Amino acid sequence: MSDAVDVDELRTWLEDGYASSVRTAYLILGNRSDAEDAVQESFLRAWKFRDSLATGSSFKPWLYRVVVNTCNSKLRKEIPHRNRRRPDDEVDDVAMIEDPIGRVTLSYDVISALKDLPAHLRVVVVLRYYADLSEHDIAIVIGRQPGTVKSRLNEARRRLALHPALQSEAPGSINARKERRS
Amino acid sequence: MTTFDEEMMKRALREAADEFAISNDAVESILDEARESATSDESPRLRAFIQRHGPIRSTILAVAACVVLLAVAVPLFNSEGTAKKNVSSALKFAAIPKVGTHGESGVVISGTGDLSGHGAAAGTSLSAPVGTTLQKANATSLDSSLRVEEVGTIRLSVGAQHFQSALTQLTDFATTDGGFVASTRSHAGTKAAHSFSTGTIVIQVPERNFTMLVDQVRHAGDATSVATSATDVTGQYVDLQARISALQVSRTQYLKIMTRTNSIGGILAVQNQLNTIQSQIEQLQAQLHLLSSETTYATLTVALSEAGHPVIVPTHPRTGVDKAWHESLHGFAAGVEWLIRIAGPLLFALLLLGAALVLGRWTWRATERRRGGIR
Repeated sequence: MSDAVDVDELRTWLEDGYASSVRTAYLILGNRSDAEDAVQESFLRAWKFRDSLATGSSFKPWLYRVVVNTCNSKLRKEIPHRNRRRPDDEVDDVAMIEDPIGRVTLSYDVISALKDLPAHLRVVVVLRYYADLSEHDIAIVIGRQPGTVKSRLNEARRRLALHPALQSEAPGSINARKERRS
Repeated sequence: MTTFDEEMMKRALREAADEFAISNDAVESILDEARESATSDESPRLRAFIQRHGPIRSTILAVAACVVLLAVAVPLFNSEGTAKKNVSSALKFAAIPKVGTHGESGVVISGTGDLSGHGAAAGTSLSAPVGTTLQKANATSLDSSLRVEEVGTIRLSVGAQHFQSALTQLTDFATTDGGFVASTRSHAGTKAAHSFSTGTIVIQVPERNFTMLVDQVRHAGDATSVATSATDVTGQYVDLQARISALQVSRTQYLKIMTRTNSIGGILAVQNQLNTIQSQIEQLQAQLHLLSSETTYATLTVALSEAGHPVIVPTHPRTGVDKAWHESLHGFAAGVEWLIRIAGPLLFALLLLGAALVLGRWTWRATERRRGGIR
């Protein structure tokens, strides 16, 4: 297979999966530029090692696995060693959008709560509720047993349910603050 | 949201993600990068490796690789090189009987160095030092060529009543090979109305003829054991030469000072220093001469006995407690030796194993990460 043909194949991959991949990475990393970097790296890596995708294997979990691994690598190596942006930068961007029906506020709260989760829990939440993968597929993506996925999801749900940002009644919650501000 | 609402979570995540505007430039940038990497060769791998693992981790890996290489290379070069050569061979042809059989009687006759050989016939005095009196080497030839000290021991059994002829033959070997008999010690005795002789002969030959001599002696009778060893003493030799040279320079300086000193106290002080230096020089020169003679001539000790009669070495019989004590000491020393002997190879093996494990784990992880982990 010539390189030109391969690059055409990559274009097809990008058309099919770039948007979902970069948004998944954004939800995991919480930063636009990091998400774009991670996805660029992931696609190039996946394309380079495309022969390792076994015949009959599903492409989507495989690509997600590369993306998640790259995100994990960034979270472990790069991001902790640099001067991080102010944590609410991205959230502020979301909150600045005009929000007549409270849609952005909800996103704001969820993103805030998500950022407080440990990375391994954040990944399963994003894969389950954004990428809409089954527990079995998530297990493939993160390279763990389905039972582990299940327990991580339970733990993530428990923590999110208790998170102040997602409890509008709580005095310190973001919703409450916004209500007071308005 | 006091309880977890999955639908709300899905909706919120989708909405948050939808805020992320997809840029067409990013897609084109990935395609450009892919085209570039497709046309470029594999040379930037090192750079990519360093970028991927970070400079510190890359450096640690490189240092670990160097340590492993050194650990492998140094013993290999040492074994091939001649810095410290120690060759030892021991050929056991038969079980050596114990010394001092009951019922034997005899007298010990000793002889000193005799360039013409036949020390056993001449012998009257006991154990005189021979190495320093023979003036066999030009010890003052101070060069830095390889200096090897070779010694060997052979236990030789000859037929009954062939002791003297074997002794003569060994002496002939020594003179033929350009050497001499350094000492002989013989023992004549009787056992069950039969007379027999045993003895020891020490032969010194030029180092280059040592191997030939060993071969000749081995075939002169029935060799029950042969052991040879060679030690490189070049470093020691050069060190002695350097120290002597330095002391000689000091002596010259003191002599100059002596000519300029007028006071009696000064002269005495310088004289004192000169005496000390002169003494040191002579001491070192003696060591150098000894070393030179030892390396010029190789020494072979032949323990000669008639068949069925071991070489008799006069020893004091040990009592039970003494024997047990010595055996205990030997056992302890052997245990410590064994521990020391295995410590090196064990450490080396552990080091290699550790390095292999680290490298294996790293390779596995890197491969998994690159491939995305799906087979």
